[in-house]
Amino acid sequence: MGNIFPRWTNLLAVKILVCLGALGTCVVAVAWYSFTPKFTRVGYMPQQPIPFDHSVHAGQLGMDCRYCHTHVENSPHSNIPAAQVCWNCHGPGKVKSDSPKLEPLRRAMDVNDPNYTGKPIEWVQLHKVPDYAHFNHSAHVNRGVSCVECHGRIDEMPVVYHAKPLSMSWCLECHRDPGKVLRPLNEITNLAWEADDLSPDEFYAYVAGKTGTSTDELKKADTGKEWDRELIGAHLQKAWGVHPPQDCAACHH
Amino acid sequence: MRWFFLILAIATVALVCALGPRGQKFSSPPFMLFPDMDNQYKVKAQKPSPFFENGQGARTPVEGTVPLGYTYPGESADSVARTSRDYSRGSDYLNTGLFGDFYGKGFPEEIKMDEAFLERGKQRYQITCTPCHGEAGNGAGIVSKYWAIPPTANLIDPRVKEMPEGQIFWTITHGKGLMGPYNGVTSVNDRWAITAYLRALQAAAGK
Repeated sequence: MGNIFPRWTNLLAVKILVCLGALGTCVVAVAWYSFTPKFTRVGYMPQQPIPFDHSVHAGQLGMDCRYCHTHVENSPHSNIPAAQVCWNCHGPGKVKSDSPKLEPLRRAMDVNDPNYTGKPIEWVQLHKVPDYAHFNHSAHVNRGVSCVECHGRIDEMPVVYHAKPLSMSWCLECHRDPGKVLRPLNEITNLAWEADDLSPDEFYAYVAGKTGTSTDELKKADTGKEWDRELIGAHLQKAWGVHPPQDCAACHH
Repeated sequence: MRWFFLILAIATVALVCALGPRGQKFSSPPFMLFPDMDNQYKVKAQKPSPFFENGQGARTPVEGTVPLGYTYPGESADSVARTSRDYSRGSDYLNTGLFGDFYGKGFPEEIKMDEAFLERGKQRYQITCTPCHGEAGNGAGIVSKYWAIPPTANLIDPRVKEMPEGQIFWTITHGKGLMGPYNGVTSVNDRWAITAYLRALQAAAGK
């Protein structure tokens, strides 16, 4: 009986396995890099009906985030301001009231405008968690997590874009180690805040008052440690008793 | 096999190049690999809803009903046109700043005046009022530095100093002149807190 399979088929199975392995590696590599919120969401910069410039309002003019997002401290949902809030400054006779960019605002608010509809401005939502995950803004901003930790430096963005992935693993990174993002409550909307902006004496006095220890004890325990976000956050976490939940039902209730 | 690896390498590089690096700016809605239940058909905060005739998810109470804990908007002394659904205000001094037809003097008895209340007033003043009226209340807010719109009221002026508290509260609520109403963005309690802090600013300015 002659050979059914020619000689070159001896290594065929091995070669196919090697090729499949290489193919699988490439697929995984591309998926690892590109099919993650770090790729699919970060950088999302939709065009808004009004080209609202956060870098002017929150940056240059120094307006507080809560001037517009008024209910962020009381509500799970951080509200987009009603057109009335825009109208308070951009109404007739006020700041840049006849700018063509504000046409959608006039349509919503100006009863004398020929195109008046009275309908809300349809802003495009960028930051979105899936509907089966529940995120509560008030729980975070009232416990020392600043806007900047999830939204980036909005005060430097002429057009807002998605700066952080907002993926589940990314949420869990902080829930496992919240100390690195906590800051004093009066600096929540100060997006440029750094550890050096905080006076150690005042801070230790505050923590001592909260934890019932003395300032000297705290300072002694911290000698030789660097004055940074981690140190501040660790103290705050202890002082406030911050224990972020890590079970599924915390967000998927 | 050599061909296979060559094609695989080219295909991978081409795909990676086509997709581009992380963090690129793009304007089309993000791609979702598994969109299951990410967008559920339900009413969400500040979202449209095709279920309702006007397309708005947020609903107002049914005609003729009053939400629990609110009072029905009755006729009140002030002549300012109000929306028919302005439920949040009762007709007492706390909610209107008025006694009948007159601005009330002093703070309502429901308000507990303490340091925390003043701190709250300071915080809310700095968020909501400083852009126009300035941190010191002198009307020199950031807006006046950039735009030549008619001058903002100087709140440490004797004119405002002599105003009864009820009138200040009423003005924050309804606006005055170019100033719009701030009842939507500040709660009743916060408006009294701002009034209290304003009194502190005036005292600090002296005279």
